[in-house]
Amino acid sequence: MIEVEQLTKRYGNITAISGISFTVARGEVVGFLGPNGAGKSTTMRILTGFFPASSGTAKIDGFEVHQSPIEVKRRVGYMPERVPLYEEMSVLGFLRFVAQVKGVPSASRKDALERAMEHCGLGDMRLRQIGNLSKGYRQRVGLAQALLGAPPVLILDEPTAGLDPKQIVEIRELIHALRGEHTVLISTHILPEVSMVCDRAIIIHQGRNAAEFRLDKLAEGAGAKSLEEVFIEVIARGSEAAA
Amino acid sequence: MRNTWAVFRREFAGYFQTPIGYVVCGVFAAISGLAFTLSLFNYARISQSPGMHGYPTVPDFEESFLSPWLVFCGSLIMFLAPLVTMRLFAEERHRGTIELLLTLPLRDREIILGKYFASLGMLAVMLLVVAADLALVGWLAPVEPAVLLFGTFTVFLMGASFFSVGMFVSSTMNNQVTSGTITFGLFLVLFVSGAISKDLPAQYPAPEAWPDALKLAAAVVYGVVRNLMQEMAIDGHAKDMAQGVLQIRDIAYYVLFSAFFVFLTFRSLESRHWRG
Repeated sequence: MIEVEQLTKRYGNITAISGISFTVARGEVVGFLGPNGAGKSTTMRILTGFFPASSGTAKIDGFEVHQSPIEVKRRVGYMPERVPLYEEMSVLGFLRFVAQVKGVPSASRKDALERAMEHCGLGDMRLRQIGNLSKGYRQRVGLAQALLGAPPVLILDEPTAGLDPKQIVEIRELIHALRGEHTVLISTHILPEVSMVCDRAIIIHQGRNAAEFRLDKLAEGAGAKSLEEVFIEVIARGSEAAA
Repeated sequence: MRNTWAVFRREFAGYFQTPIGYVVCGVFAAISGLAFTLSLFNYARISQSPGMHGYPTVPDFEESFLSPWLVFCGSLIMFLAPLVTMRLFAEERHRGTIELLLTLPLRDREIILGKYFASLGMLAVMLLVVAADLALVGWLAPVEPAVLLFGTFTVFLMGASFFSVGMFVSSTMNNQVTSGTITFGLFLVLFVSGAISKDLPAQYPAPEAWPDALKLAAAVVYGVVRNLMQEMAIDGHAKDMAQGVLQIRDIAYYVLFSAFFVFLTFRSLESRHWRG
């Protein structure tokens, strides 16, 4: 469903990612990990068509992101990292705008909005101005917006950052519920979360692929390691190689 | 079409979900209304005793009241346009919502036209004030309704030109205040150079001592610069139109002027595909 090949992005002299490749199969939930500045958001922004890659290709459902941007954007629900939202709009007004743009037919729009708000626990907040919402609720609006129109692919950039434990559990359950219907690529720093919701993890470090493994394989075998151990090991190895 | 409408609605509603729409309309109504009242009183005084004010007969209503007031309204929009247009793209960039906008299934065309039409919608609201004043004129004075309607249209065209420049500037900026300031500065330069160009002699006053080739070159360059200064001043083509004189070239000037800056906005938004 998601195919990334030799993706490179340079900002002037700075190379944010260089030669990243991975694939995500239909219906898979994949954790996209890496330390700060590894290039997770950059990769996700290229995948969603926010900006183009310097070289390499990225395909969603067979469509190249730069060549058929509209086809790709119709298939992707994206929650950007800092969850930018139109502060002056009401939750309902904003979601209605997104639903309209995503082509949710007007006959079923009301239902789709209700479902998205219910899914994300926004029912009581529908008429609130987004600018007055707490961080947790903003995060939910961002998630609801990504879910609208039932896109087959969801790209979520740190969806649980800055939430309280209860909200984290709720969002995690929500993502868990999406399994099967959606292909999900989710970036996060919270490793237990990955073990709980993801089938597979991809670790990138300093803009390069560092490791990739199935999480159920991790628990097997004699030298069973926790995800934390693997993560730290991979990063340390990558840093040594660079030095 | 549906998406353009969605962008338009969101953007237009945004003007009135924040104070900006009310402030701009309020200020425009107050100043244009004040100018209307004062110049109407002035005209009334002159027409009662034209001789005392140096006129042989009662001065022409369209020429000495209607047109100057309408051009004034258009120029007033020049001062308010940066406030309307500075947010269009700069605010999206500043708040990061541009990421949302550019990753939703929207084409550039839908984004730009939706936003431009929203600013024109704002202009239409401002023009309701002008229309109300003109309705009063139509009721009190023997002026053809078509002239008044065309006059309102003139102000609309002027405003649309200002807004197109403002949108373009906003599309190149990350900050609303910079965007507004640069837009305003640009208008002021155009306005002042247009005013200066009116006093420039038609021919370049080259000294007799210059060789012929130099005289010719100076005359050509001077001619181009003078024409540009005259043409780029957005109020230049409005004077005749506001009197009800319909000329294709005046209308074409405003339509092409706006279209050019909308076109530049397209290129500016597209630049994200090739800029580093």
